[in-house]
Amino acid sequence: MTTPLLSIESLCVDYEQRRAGVFGSRTQTLRAVNGVSFELSEGETLGVVGETGCGKTSLGKAILQLLPLAAGRVVWRGMDLARADAKMLTGLRSELQIVFQDPLSSLNPRMPVGEIVAEPLRVHAAGMSARERQLAVSGMFERVGLRPEMTARYPNEFSSGQCQRISIARAMITRPKLLICDEPVSALDVSIQAQICNLLRELQRETGVAILFISHDLSVLRYMSHRVMVLYLGRLMEIAPRDVLFENPRHPYSRALIDAIPEPAPNANPLDRADPLPGEIPTALDPPSGCVFRTRCPIATPECAQTSPQTENVSESHHVACHHWRC
Amino acid sequence: MSALLEVRDLSVRFNVGDAELNAVRSLSFDVSEGECLGVVGESGAGKSQAFLAALGLLADNARARGSVRYRGREILNAPRRELDALRGRRMAMVFQDPLSGLTPTARIGHQLEESARRHLGMNARQARGKALEMLETVRLPDPRRCLALYPFELSGGMRQRVMIALGMICEPDLLIADEPTTALDVTIQAQILRLLGELQRDANTSIVLITHDLSVAAAFSDRIMILYNGRLVESGTTHEVFRSPKHPYTAGLLASLPSLTIDPASDLPTIPGQPPDAMKSVQGCAFAERCKHAMDRCWSERPVLAAPGAQHAAACHLLSA
Ligand SMILES: Nc1ncnc2c1ncn2[C@@H]1O[C@H](COP(=O)(O)OP(=O)(O)OP(=O)(O)O)[C@@H](O)[C@H]1O
Ligand code: SF4
Ligand code: SF4
Ligand SMILES: [Mg+2]
Repeated sequence: MTTPLLSIESLCVDYEQRRAGVFGSRTQTLRAVNGVSFELSEGETLGVVGETGCGKTSLGKAILQLLPLAAGRVVWRGMDLARADAKMLTGLRSELQIVFQDPLSSLNPRMPVGEIVAEPLRVHAAGMSARERQLAVSGMFERVGLRPEMTARYPNEFSSGQCQRISIARAMITRPKLLICDEPVSALDVSIQAQICNLLRELQRETGVAILFISHDLSVLRYMSHRVMVLYLGRLMEIAPRDVLFENPRHPYSRALIDAIPEPAPNANPLDRADPLPGEIPTALDPPSGCVFRTRCPIATPECAQTSPQTENVSESHHVACHHWRC
Repeated sequence: MSALLEVRDLSVRFNVGDAELNAVRSLSFDVSEGECLGVVGESGAGKSQAFLAALGLLADNARARGSVRYRGREILNAPRRELDALRGRRMAMVFQDPLSGLTPTARIGHQLEESARRHLGMNARQARGKALEMLETVRLPDPRRCLALYPFELSGGMRQRVMIALGMICEPDLLIADEPTTALDVTIQAQILRLLGELQRDANTSIVLITHDLSVAAAFSDRIMILYNGRLVESGTTHEVFRSPKHPYTAGLLASLPSLTIDPASDLPTIPGQPPDAMKSVQGCAFAERCKHAMDRCWSERPVLAAPGAQHAAACHLLSA
């Protein structure tokens, strides 16, 4: 295997939370991402799935250095990003881009969309003439399926699907090597989701961009990813090549997620389906002892409350954090 | 199965500035006793407005026309008092954002007891018992403690359970659930759908499940209705609609689902273009500009739903060609 483009080592992200108490307010630390490690290669898509608040978005932001790391390293093409100075980071931003969930609110409402897409070029390709920029923008518009005449219009004149195309154009115009997509299709209509999924796949084929695809929707994720990583309460539960994860998941949480996918099975009685996972998601402020999943796990044993499971190798490419993955 | 709710030729119009927006356009359908009906469509298709109109919950700038009968009695635009009684007792609605249906400043127990006293004529002690019983029915963990909590102290999934408890407390004949699981995580979504299924079975409640997610509707409902641009484009048993969709829009939607059986190496089939603007009126078929089968006739003549009330029907000229 070639050296990975991105390598994440035991990454932790903390938030300080102020909590009102009887003796005045005190701050409490919430660990949103806890010891997550993985690698990502050129041209590869790694899907990230997990429940709301499990740290998916924090992970993406920490990789881009938009959030401070509490511990761990982000190594980009062999370089530890913590060692990069401000100038180097600005340069690197053109290689690392992000697309957010809510297309409209991530676009400046007072800027014509052509300017929005040209903005990264102003910063990262200062040598470009206005004319060259304009050409690059219309080329990009066409590439993402928008008419180049539309560049003078404002974001509110576009549908949410079109806004997501604009965000993608803005992210891709600097030819990044890594694109982080944070729930890029969740806010879109069903008939538009497939269009955007295909667009991202085409762009990857053409440019070799690596994608970190964050989604709570496992069927979209299966379609988009080469490998899939499952998070729960900020911790890595399982990571495996796509087909391995879907056909032979080893972690009880991965299994429950796959069982919960509402597959169109008409006339199937919902009451005949596998029992849904019981219980609520615990708060990251006060995670369960031992294995964080144990309060909802159908096969938990006393050991699970005692010690936190280490990540073990099922195979070279398949890792799982569970005491009983062999069951 | 007899019809509990009969909707005929229902239209909902909004006044927006000096323009008109047609959210629902001559919609006709029935909800039968004890069935679960899935209502599917994209954002703005008119799913919510159709049922808000039926319950008399439209915004002030909206007008509803047509007919909605509950057990044979006309209720569209009925006097407020009559609707209030009906809504609490016979029909209930649960929304996507459970906070919008709960009073933020009142304890959960109080809100449930209030409803039991007003609609079921219970005294304080009975109402308290009923409230607890409902929280148990919807399987809220630690129900006794939850009675004393405020809505913001609960997780999204727990709030949705409370909303369902509030909807079900008067044992309505019809529960309308508008995107009840959209804001929830997959494993919690599975819990809520299971709960609705149990309520339907145990109390013989009819359930209308409004959703933009075809897979959720398929996994849950007996019958399905597909709306596009305020109109019914296809309806039938879930089995039939999935096995052999008749309308090109339904077929396109089904094909574009990244289901677990699709080969991830191939591109997803897509429906080109975007859903139409509800402000504009089209003469022919509203789907024509996105339809690969569109013929001359589709641009000028509106297709009607062939054989309404049949097991499986669709509004498309291909079916009468
Ligand atoms: N108060 C209002 N004033 C004007 N137009 C409105 C109002 N409420 C809804 N509409 C419009 O009515 C149409 C139908 O809306 P409706 O809420 O029924 O759609 P929906 O199918 O439920 O969509 P979603 O999936 O987004 O919930 C939309 O075009 C919407 O913008
Ligand atoms: S370690 Fe124990 S609680 Fe955690 S997933 Fe494995 S069996 Fe379940
Ligand atoms: S009526 Fe015509 S345009 Fe409309 S769905 Fe049928 S074939 Fe397509
Ligand atoms: Mg709605």
